[in-house]
Amino acid sequence: MPGNQDPLLSAKLADNLQEIRDRLGNSPDLIIRKFELVTSLIEVAAIYINGLNDKDIVDEFITHIMAFDTLGGDGPQLNSVNGIYQFMKGKALSTGEEKVIRDWKELFAALLSGNTIVLVDGLAEAIGGNTSGGEVRAVTEASTQVAIRGSKESFTESIGTNLSLVRRRIKNANLWIETMKIGVVTQTDVAIMYMNGIAKESVIQKLKQKLQGIHIDAILESGYIEQLIEENKYSPFPTLYNTERPDSVAGNLMEGRIAIFVDGTPFVLIAPTTFFMFFHAVEDYYQRYDISTLIRLLRFMCLIISLFGPGLFVAALNFHQEMIPTPLLINLASQREGVPFPTFIEALLLEVTFEIIREAGIRMPSPIGQTVSIIGGLVLGQAAVQAGIVSPAMVIVVSLTGISSFATPAFNMALSVRILRFIIMFIAAFMGLYGMCVFSFILIAHLCSLSSLGIPYMSPMGPFIPQNQQDAVFRLPFQFMKNRPRLISQKKHNKRIR
Amino acid sequence: MKGKRLLLTVFCMLAVMLLTSCWNSRELNEMAIVTGMGIDKAPDKDEYRVTFQIVNPSSTATSMGASTGQPTITVYSATDRTLFGALRKTSKKAARQLFFAHTQLVVIGEDMARSGIDDIFDVFERSHELRLNATVLVSRGDDANSIMKILLPIESLPAMGLVKKVRNTAAIWGENRDITIFELINGITGEGEVVISGIRVIGDKEEGKKKANLEQTEVKAIPAISGLGVFKKGKLVTWLEGSEAKGVLWVQNKIDQTTVNIDTEGSEASVAVDINYSKTAINVELREGVPVFHVHIQEEGKISETRGFMDLSNGDEIAKLEEQLAKQTKEAAIRSIQAAQRLESDIFDFGNELKRLRPKEWEAVKEDWSSLFAQGKLDVRVEAHIRGTGMRLKPYLQNKDESN
Repeated sequence: MPGNQDPLLSAKLADNLQEIRDRLGNSPDLIIRKFELVTSLIEVAAIYINGLNDKDIVDEFITHIMAFDTLGGDGPQLNSVNGIYQFMKGKALSTGEEKVIRDWKELFAALLSGNTIVLVDGLAEAIGGNTSGGEVRAVTEASTQVAIRGSKESFTESIGTNLSLVRRRIKNANLWIETMKIGVVTQTDVAIMYMNGIAKESVIQKLKQKLQGIHIDAILESGYIEQLIEENKYSPFPTLYNTERPDSVAGNLMEGRIAIFVDGTPFVLIAPTTFFMFFHAVEDYYQRYDISTLIRLLRFMCLIISLFGPGLFVAALNFHQEMIPTPLLINLASQREGVPFPTFIEALLLEVTFEIIREAGIRMPSPIGQTVSIIGGLVLGQAAVQAGIVSPAMVIVVSLTGISSFATPAFNMALSVRILRFIIMFIAAFMGLYGMCVFSFILIAHLCSLSSLGIPYMSPMGPFIPQNQQDAVFRLPFQFMKNRPRLISQKKHNKRIR
Repeated sequence: MKGKRLLLTVFCMLAVMLLTSCWNSRELNEMAIVTGMGIDKAPDKDEYRVTFQIVNPSSTATSMGASTGQPTITVYSATDRTLFGALRKTSKKAARQLFFAHTQLVVIGEDMARSGIDDIFDVFERSHELRLNATVLVSRGDDANSIMKILLPIESLPAMGLVKKVRNTAAIWGENRDITIFELINGITGEGEVVISGIRVIGDKEEGKKKANLEQTEVKAIPAISGLGVFKKGKLVTWLEGSEAKGVLWVQNKIDQTTVNIDTEGSEASVAVDINYSKTAINVELREGVPVFHVHIQEEGKISETRGFMDLSNGDEIAKLEEQLAKQTKEAAIRSIQAAQRLESDIFDFGNELKRLRPKEWEAVKEDWSSLFAQGKLDVRVEAHIRGTGMRLKPYLQNKDESN
């Protein structure tokens, strides 16, 4: 890596500037503004990268730092290089963050993260002022986790904005933030945020260790970090939760979890994660408990449908015809009359078609996306039934499954269920209900073996924690939700309601 | 290392799956769904003639595709020494393997019933496909084969239609009952005897087979539930009808809902009482070697219709009706028990009751129970209550005495 070989700045301004130009490959977005001080004829240069800075702040910074020059020489110290430097340092402070830079590595890190660097001829030190800004996306409404009731804010790509969005919700000194840079090349800003006193020390340490253990060139999204720190890399289930809602992060912090912010993405990771988090939505807490509980139950029902729907249908039709009520069986038999494929192939055909429609629709601009779903869903489905390629009942089962899979609030969990659905279909076609039962056992055993930062994934069900049942499958009224999750938060601060 | 283990696990699981090679997987369009079975005695031979009613899926009403114009069912029959042999022999005629798990109805031909039914149900218990909850009927005055062939209006599947008929009449009229193979086997192996409802074709059997028969408002052949066949030692001995049949069900505690037309002063059977609750308790004891049957019937009903004037707002009138209802119920019960006694057939399971309550005394009498049963004394008590008079009290007809 360049910059590691000669760490120190040179005392000559021209040399320094040349070095910067060389290292950045004469990049056109490098702006160098040179001044000659009127009072002492010393050369000074302000450098910054175009677009990473707020232009007004840069100007203000430069004006401030040069203020003595326009005021006229005052006192002997301003005639010497050192005197000027001391003055500048003092003035630079007034604009915000200021730091003294001595080596190249530091200089480039500061420059490339939006600082303006001031170099003085004759000095081997530079002053960096944080002037970062520039074009960032405004805080907009959440696009992946929409809530009817609740905050309309969502995270942006700027880590500073994101941290402040949470800070505004928890006005407490115990909201602690630690930052680090991950990504050997990208030097991406990563921050972890937790409630000091609520989050478990051991979990925080474990997370920090894991983050420090990452040695990868680039971190472009929180997904990189998620996959690198996951404990169960071969599991189909996600063991880290992500959200783009500040209120969701705030809620999870208050339960003792830790949030991982990554610069450049609106998706914030939350750890430790439990299975049931994927079926909770922030709105569950904003609406009354009765409807929230019912909706949660509905979501679990949808999970079961989207996992087992086609599998169960195939198993029942191929192996367990006696389980179907007679009128229904005859109805299904009359539909299947003339369908040229075995039930399993029929199911697979439709499921794959559905996946194609879904994948094609997702990446399209939304007006075309709708066309895709109309052609795919309505026209294709109807035509396939009329042509006798598939039976209408199968279309119903596959559509119901598809719709059910959208009822899971967390997209990544819905994706895992999608994979498992196909596996279950295969097993159902080979071994019927027996196979499905065996696979479910394996699946549950696997789920119970998972952990997220050392916390059991299936808690509070496996291990069973009676005092945390109010907020897992059910959502009890707030007066009953007295305890924070026991395994996740510190024991002494376990009471949520005093 | 972990990945290797995982791969191995996946491999093992796949192998387990593939080695089963879906041995009992069957597609719906490769099976013939049997909804009804008829069992007859083959003429001149000691063989069964078994008739299968098979659903024709492409012509059931729910089908989306173009209807083929065929009837909703088709019938195959085969003869063999065993039922199972016969059902496998059908493969010569049927293009698809028969599937028995949805057999709703078993009809036994009258000849078969008269020559004994005790030995035909083994295959129903032994087979994993055949179900024990299929309804059993005896075709009255006919063979089961012809019952199986008759198409029904409204109900697209005749076997299911017949089952619904038995259940319907058992539920609201109470002269027949829906008896399943399971109950039948229990009856045969128990100490008592069994009863099976009869079914009779009214009209032209040949017309009944045709789909064209259904294209008119009144069909030319209709199977109707008719009578209660009384068995003795596994053989059909006689048919009970009307109030005798109803009495049997009353004593058997199988009345769900029924209607009794009770007599009033001066006019016979002029008040219809809708019985909607009935419970029968039985106790049997031996007094000096002779069994005494205590039958206690509790019933409740409401008045549904009166043919003449009656002041139903008067509690005494109601009490009179209750008394009359109890009397008529008692008569029906006694008549049915006496009828069974004449036949020496303990269709009420009094024997089982004695065995259960007083096993030692039972041991002494079990050898000649049927003759003792015939001599048994009756103690029938009926508690009848009328709980309502419908939507009005007094009928709209004027009281003749008052108007004069």
